Amino acid sequence: MGNKKIKNMDRKEFMKHSALVAGMAMFPSNLFAKEAKTANEKLFPTSLPFLKNGEWKEFEVNIAISEQELAPGMKIHTLAFNDTVPGPEIRVKQGDKVRVRFKNNTDLNHTIHWHGIYVPWRMDGVPYVTQMPVMPNQEFIYEFVAEPYGTHFYHCHWGTLLHMQSGMFGSIIIENDDDPIKKAFPYEREYTLIYSAHDVNFVRNELNSMLERMKERSYLMKNGRFNAERFNLFNTKEELLEAIENGYQPPYLVNRRAPAELPVPNWFTVNGKSYPSTPYLYIKTGENIRIRLINAGTENHHLHLHGHDFWMVCDDGVPLPQPWQRNTVSLSPGKTYDIIVEGNNRGIWTFHDHDTRRVTNNGLYPGGNLLALVYEDLPKEERRVGGMSGMKMDNMDMLPKIALDE
Amino acid sequence: MGLESVVQAQVSPEIELGAKGVMSGNIEINSANTASAVSDFSDSQILLGFKQKLYNSWRAQMVFGMQFPDADSDLGQVFYNHVFLKLEDQKNIIKIGRSTTQTILNEFSTLRDDDAIQFNYSLNPFSIGSNTQDNQYGNVIEYTRIFNQRYWLKFHGENFADLSAPTDFELNSFGASFLYIVPESQRWNRNIIQRVGVSYNNYITSHPRYRNFNKLLKNVIGTITLNLKPDPVHFVDLKVQGIYNIGFSAINNLNSYANYVRTPSISTFGTIRYLYRKYERPLIQASLSLGYKSFSAVSNSRQEIGIANVFYRLGENFDLGFQYRYLNNNGQSASLFGKQDHRFQIALVYSINQIYNNQFDDRNTILNLEHNYIK
Repeated sequence: MGNKKIKNMDRKEFMKHSALVAGMAMFPSNLFAKEAKTANEKLFPTSLPFLKNGEWKEFEVNIAISEQELAPGMKIHTLAFNDTVPGPEIRVKQGDKVRVRFKNNTDLNHTIHWHGIYVPWRMDGVPYVTQMPVMPNQEFIYEFVAEPYGTHFYHCHWGTLLHMQSGMFGSIIIENDDDPIKKAFPYEREYTLIYSAHDVNFVRNELNSMLERMKERSYLMKNGRFNAERFNLFNTKEELLEAIENGYQPPYLVNRRAPAELPVPNWFTVNGKSYPSTPYLYIKTGENIRIRLINAGTENHHLHLHGHDFWMVCDDGVPLPQPWQRNTVSLSPGKTYDIIVEGNNRGIWTFHDHDTRRVTNNGLYPGGNLLALVYEDLPKEERRVGGMSGMKMDNMDMLPKIALDE
Repeated sequence: MGLESVVQAQVSPEIELGAKGVMSGNIEINSANTASAVSDFSDSQILLGFKQKLYNSWRAQMVFGMQFPDADSDLGQVFYNHVFLKLEDQKNIIKIGRSTTQTILNEFSTLRDDDAIQFNYSLNPFSIGSNTQDNQYGNVIEYTRIFNQRYWLKFHGENFADLSAPTDFELNSFGASFLYIVPESQRWNRNIIQRVGVSYNNYITSHPRYRNFNKLLKNVIGTITLNLKPDPVHFVDLKVQGIYNIGFSAINNLNSYANYVRTPSISTFGTIRYLYRKYERPLIQASLSLGYKSFSAVSNSRQEIGIANVFYRLGENFDLGFQYRYLNNNGQSASLFGKQDHRFQIALVYSINQIYNNQFDDRNTILNLEHNYIK
């Protein structure tokens, strides 16, 4: 019967119908449908599988330039760990021996810094301090014992301002079998949300510029022609001062290379997506959910949940002696907070940055890090809205719409 | 006038500001006693461009530009050398308006673009030779198709300035060119060949308003750029261009400028350039150019040119330069232009190219070339 209907459509009508179906697949009209929940799962970092090699858990991480869609129709070039932004989630047990084989598949230099982890200092991923940068097509093996437990993240520490904005970050969760949070607030479901902010014009221009410079540098390196001043790399401060005395000009001077302006982010993402592509947080009445908040960007985010208080239970992965009850949390750059939301007020609730400049896409509200807490057990009768004078909306099935211009 | 413009427009375009100031002191030594100049600012120009994305994958650009021509050019104080609209996507470019013409296929490192115009430009047969802009700019309509990022096929038509018919804006030239160009952003992993191109051009001299030869004036241009040493610090390249002006063999004298541009000729112009880059920026450039032009239908006539210059970068895009040009005309070309000319120039050159309200990428950036083009 369905086929017959399609046969009877003219081409224009069929295209219209197809576009509608495609749109529905992207924005499920029924938030409560199984397909919608399955699609939503892909908006959270996926756990990276490991190989057990003796007492080591071995992970494979690579970096490549990739094309990512922040919101429908808005694509940018990114630096993506294992082709995803954020990178895959590394999830281990406290005390595990972790080995990460990191392969650089770009023409740029990189490292991985393990933010909040008690790694040996040579594993800390700071170029020219703890290690040499991982150069194009090179590999570096990071080894450490997973300590302390909690919510942490990893990111590139080379050209950090650019590389983090370009997507080089991911979560590392160290689990504790005797987790005090789980004891205090029993939960089954948890969500990782990684916040970031991007000046997409800065990312594009600087990536291009850096790729060009690296082509030159690679050419020279291959020929064994390293030059300290050209590479802006000195062994000591005295060496730098001597070079300046002899006419060298540091790149941070505006007459040398500096742009004189800091980047100004115009896109704000959660797990690499901006509204309306951001994930939903599903919950049921009576259920506790744990949300791991990570700020891998450069901006402060003042995250506010409507209709609820939540419990702030961990700060930088460390359990708080006394959970704090609140409805807004300020997540500054480099911080992680864990919060517990108790499902005690049925509905569909907005969870967003209350610095509303961050709830924009290209300066236009709504966008950015606008999320929703969705009660799965919301009865059908509560999904309808009453009539408004002058509008025929009586008993309309009123689930959240995709509003793009308020 | 198009549809009405949106008064409270939310889409502000990318704004591109380009400017170049060329200030030189000239000393001329020649048989014609051409005046020296204490301050020659010709070729200085300013360009203002506006660009935005269209509703599909195309982009539109509007450019206005003006140039200060030579004092004796008959063009007035200011010449509007660019007034055009351009539409483009990844593989197509459509351009219409006043702009550069397809009379040259390469860029040579002379102080001013027109320093060797008799050798490296196909000359406008409708011009009376009082200025160089007649050859460099025209009212154009162009379509370019780009294949595999590096192969540029261009079809073009022009209305070249004709002082004998200044109100005639009909098409008086057309042609096509095919170029292989390695994008500048990929210059450090390129092969020796940076650019190869050929073009075929026709001037509609058979038009009754123009001197009636009952046929088209045709020429063929070929060029090549070789990266002799593609080294980021000590870079050397060689550029050569040849122009075969098929011309009219019936013209066997150079009694007038009109004859000079219409008689068959072959001109070759080449530049070898050394560029020293310090801190990933150009610091010193030195180049030597040589050119030769012969006229097969005119006996014992030829032209030779030699240009040597050096530029030193004082600051970002601000250069101090010195150039010496030697021009030698033999036979009937000496009667037309004088026998010899020595020109010494010391110059300051400042050029800027700034983009404000940047919103999207160029097709030739590494990201777009090597990591998928983003519309």
